[in-house]
Amino acid sequence: MAGQEPENRAKQDREKAGQSAAIRGLLVYAKPHKRQFVGVVGCTIIAIAADLLQPYIVKIAIDDHLMNGSKEFSPLLLLGGLYLLLSLLSLLFSYIQNQLIQIAGQGIVMQLRKDLFRHLSRLSPSFYDRMSSGGLVTHISGDTETVSQFFTQVCLSLVRDGMTLAFILFFMFQLDPVLAGYSLLLLPAIALIAALFRGYMRKTYQLSRSRLSRLIAFTAENLSGMNLVQAFHQEREQVKQFEDRNSSYYEANLREIRTNVLFNRSFDLLGNLSVAFVTWIGGRAVYGEGLEFGVLYAFITYIRQFFQPINSITQQWNTLQAASVSADRIWRLFKTNSELADKGVTTIGQDGDPRRAVGAVRFNDVVFGYTPEEPVLQGISLDIEPGQRIGIVGTTGAGKSSLISLLCRFYDTQRGSVTIDGVDVRQIPLVQLRRAVGLVQQEPYLFSGSIIDNVRLFDSSISPEQVREACRFVGADALVGRLPDGYETLLSEKGSGLSAGERQLISFARIVVFRPSILILDEATANLDSSTEQMVQQALNSVSVGRTTFVIAHRISTVMDADRIIVLRSGRIAESGSHSELMRRGGYYARLYAHSQGEQEEQPAG
Amino acid sequence: MKQQRLLLPYVTSKGWLYAAALLAIALGNIIQSLYPRVLGEFTDKLQSRSLTPEIIAQSALLLAGIAVLFTCLAGSGQYLVMRLGREFERLTRKQLFRHFTRLSEAYYASHGVGHMLSYVLSDVKSVREAISSCFSQTANAVILLISALIMMKVSGLPLGLITLCVSPLLLIPVLVVYFGPRIRKRSREVQNDLAAMTESAEEQIGGMRVTQKFSVEPMMEARFGSHVDEVYSSQLSLVKMSSLFQALIPFLGSVSLVLTLVAGGYQALTGAITIGMFVSLTLYMRLIINPLQMIGNVINTMQRSRASLERLQELLSTRPDIRNAADPLPFPAEAGIVIKGLTYSYPGAAQPALQDIELQIRQGWTTGLIGRTGSGKTTLAKLLLRMMEAPEGAILIDGLDIRGIDVHSLRDSIAYVPQDGFLFSTTLRDNIAFAKRDADQQEVEEASRYAGIYENILEFKDGFSTKLGERGVTLSGGQRQRTSLARGLIKQAPLLILDDSVSAVDAVTESAIVASIRQVRRNKTTLIIAHRISALKHADEIIVLDEGRIVQRGTHESLLQEQGLYAELASLQQGGMGHGRTGA
Repeated sequence: MAGQEPENRAKQDREKAGQSAAIRGLLVYAKPHKRQFVGVVGCTIIAIAADLLQPYIVKIAIDDHLMNGSKEFSPLLLLGGLYLLLSLLSLLFSYIQNQLIQIAGQGIVMQLRKDLFRHLSRLSPSFYDRMSSGGLVTHISGDTETVSQFFTQVCLSLVRDGMTLAFILFFMFQLDPVLAGYSLLLLPAIALIAALFRGYMRKTYQLSRSRLSRLIAFTAENLSGMNLVQAFHQEREQVKQFEDRNSSYYEANLREIRTNVLFNRSFDLLGNLSVAFVTWIGGRAVYGEGLEFGVLYAFITYIRQFFQPINSITQQWNTLQAASVSADRIWRLFKTNSELADKGVTTIGQDGDPRRAVGAVRFNDVVFGYTPEEPVLQGISLDIEPGQRIGIVGTTGAGKSSLISLLCRFYDTQRGSVTIDGVDVRQIPLVQLRRAVGLVQQEPYLFSGSIIDNVRLFDSSISPEQVREACRFVGADALVGRLPDGYETLLSEKGSGLSAGERQLISFARIVVFRPSILILDEATANLDSSTEQMVQQALNSVSVGRTTFVIAHRISTVMDADRIIVLRSGRIAESGSHSELMRRGGYYARLYAHSQGEQEEQPAG
Repeated sequence: MKQQRLLLPYVTSKGWLYAAALLAIALGNIIQSLYPRVLGEFTDKLQSRSLTPEIIAQSALLLAGIAVLFTCLAGSGQYLVMRLGREFERLTRKQLFRHFTRLSEAYYASHGVGHMLSYVLSDVKSVREAISSCFSQTANAVILLISALIMMKVSGLPLGLITLCVSPLLLIPVLVVYFGPRIRKRSREVQNDLAAMTESAEEQIGGMRVTQKFSVEPMMEARFGSHVDEVYSSQLSLVKMSSLFQALIPFLGSVSLVLTLVAGGYQALTGAITIGMFVSLTLYMRLIINPLQMIGNVINTMQRSRASLERLQELLSTRPDIRNAADPLPFPAEAGIVIKGLTYSYPGAAQPALQDIELQIRQGWTTGLIGRTGSGKTTLAKLLLRMMEAPEGAILIDGLDIRGIDVHSLRDSIAYVPQDGFLFSTTLRDNIAFAKRDADQQEVEEASRYAGIYENILEFKDGFSTKLGERGVTLSGGQRQRTSLARGLIKQAPLLILDDSVSAVDAVTESAIVASIRQVRRNKTTLIIAHRISALKHADEIIVLDEGRIVQRGTHESLLQEQGLYAELASLQQGGMGHGRTGA
């Protein structure tokens, strides 16, 4: 699981700083919803009024009507009517308040998700090399959800409960400043309890969080490696180790429960003891006729009410912690910048249309490695004329894929440069470059959507007719015709019901529709059986007409008719030339060819 | 299929503790329900001017006593219930993990790790929440309601008045019944939309390279955005319903209080009840409103967690699809394997992964299996380990059908070294001694020497105690493979399967490892699967697989003489080094 880090002290400090920056960042998202938040505060005042005024109304009833022996019922009825009205208003405004906070909270999360996804889609391939996709998905769905709770739960509680507290204090002072003054003694007591528990609660919370993440990490790892556990018949041992972590998490839970129960109950106790205390103090005042009984009644009720908001605020503590951790994770993603600076402004192609670039490619003394210490390409220079078909062969790790990654600018070179039509790829805006260079990989990727959308990649400026034409062009028409809903058949990455070759045909059709001026086929036929390969090969030939084409393959037959074949070995160009030139040379390539010929004759027999 | 039951057996087994918790909560609430009465009597004394400082002090002390007793009793009851909930969580997690260790490859292939983790995390948690908070809240509400009603009656309040005041609260269950299913339906929609959004994020991140390559980011953002918008609108539609519900419940409480004020006040005016009784009535109403309001949440939580409980029970009832036969036999003395007409297809696959495989892995021989990616090599290894089940009679070990052999005995007798070199986040020593936890240092060192990882391990500061994983050292691909190889070798099993185990190791190290394996495995059955010829050219027999079929077989030398896949692979891999020439 990504993001389940161990917690240690140094890290905690750093996290704290990061979290406050993250919370500040969230406020930027809250800003457009300012009016809703103001509305929430306004609604809250009315929403809590009924509950707050009830003791006051009863006090009036007791002091002004019941205690003074009046027999009139109508004022009582009036008070009841007033209270009912207040309750109705409270019902209405609680509802509005809830709606407003959710509209704001969900709106913030919606924007956050969209922005996060946009940001992720701008990050370079090297970022995706490092990050697990599962982790990223958790950030997009899980962490944003937790952040929304910050608004819909924590903020709401702070506003609602904070205001309730303030109003209760206000009413108490209105009723009797002396008794209210005594009640103020509660505040330091509450502060003391909170201070005593806070550090301890934080610790127990963190302890159980870190033990939980240990448990999750262990479980996730064992689930991924379950085939090994089973192959080595270690189920019992692993269950035992799981149980160790499970129990230690349980112990931490018990500590957390103890702390929480003690904490909440000590507030409870304090609340109930203050009722006793107020009864004593107030009772003596009433006895001495210094105080009306209704006031005492209202006071007792308010004192009890006082602890409800405090309890519910403290319950938000854990949500706040979780939200700030999530916010921090999201913020760190936002702060990750693409390693490819997209600052180029030089357009290529006729009228600035990259698809109409000439297609001359040059590699100038290119040195590149995924880590600086281990160069994969060690000084490659190549000059490719427009419209040429270039074959690239070599063993695994020779640098074939790295070479074309640089042309696509998935990575930047460490030394030297790659140019298209004489322009350094770093000078070309990424959007232009990527439209200019098309790539078909070994594993075609299908999105969930219709065949039409998979070919045009959801770009509705490309008409279904163009898609059909492209499919006919690559010979995928027949295959589409066999599918239940034809071009509207829904595909998905998992279980599309298409074979590897058929999927590959779809990705060829993409190329036809997007018309890049340079085409790269990276082992595009490697996963196909011989019969499908035949079909794909034909499509490939039709697609590459008029385009500068790079074909990477480990089967000679795929590249032998290329205008020029580059033989790579250990990051350098070992041989290069046309098939006949290379054959005449009688080197490495010639040997490869001889074997592939052998294979083809042999296969029917095998 | 009989569903495994989870909750009832647990609660029954903890019956006494639950009874104790219930008793504590009950006593606490009964004591608490005395408090309005104390204040009511206080008021009456005040009214009748019989109040004395002693009575004031007495009442205050009584209230303090109630406070202390209630807190202690209710607190310990609550603690007990929460503790029992956590224990349920612990036991269920253990049960789940044990169940996971029994599920086979097929299950793991169709269920993602994230999906399985959600059982351990969210489902267990949601059931726990139901049995801890719901239990104590329900107990609280019910007992408090009953004891408050009794106390009201005892203190002489007329039954009609009580009924009138309480009646709006009785609408709470009606509201719950009305809103509950509607809220659940909408919250299911939210869950579905969230799941769809997560799935879309997963898919789009997987296809990010394609997206970027075709520069169609805006379209993909729009696609993802539409899922986000759906979550937004379904969330708001849920909120419309749920906030109405949440606002209505306190409203009923307020209506109760209005009735109390008007009807109670009227009776107090007419002298039917004393003012003290009126005071205690209002206090009683306030006392019971809160817990009754909670009942709404309780019912909703319970229904949510019922779905989780069902999911858990369903999972625990799935029977592992690879099981021992009724009377399993131990692994035979000789590890000679005969494969007869083996055809195997993955569920849902169009073509079989292996087709008509006829093969003999002779006792004491080293057999090599070579082929390209996807040729079915690993499938064969998994069938031999019974990670997947081969058709009956297709694989015989020393004449016994593999399906009749005890799974554990089989796996104990096979050392399997997979290609990915999966290691656990623990020490190097623990990783190597994975199958033999009591191995002494000498055995561990010996195995790591054979696997060619010994020198590397010594270079680490902590040697064999070096921790791997997120919090430890990250090994290179080759180092991981060699550690994983040591883990296999230490087992000294009758059958060793190397599944492309040294593919990430450089050529020099590889030849050293191959030499040491030949030495250790002399006269022991070994199956070497590889796509690199150098790893298996010394084998006694080499089988060439292509597209699930055996296309060639023989020794390295004989295969090089034949024209075919083997010679082609040999030339591709060794070209220029002088090995492949014979084929040309």
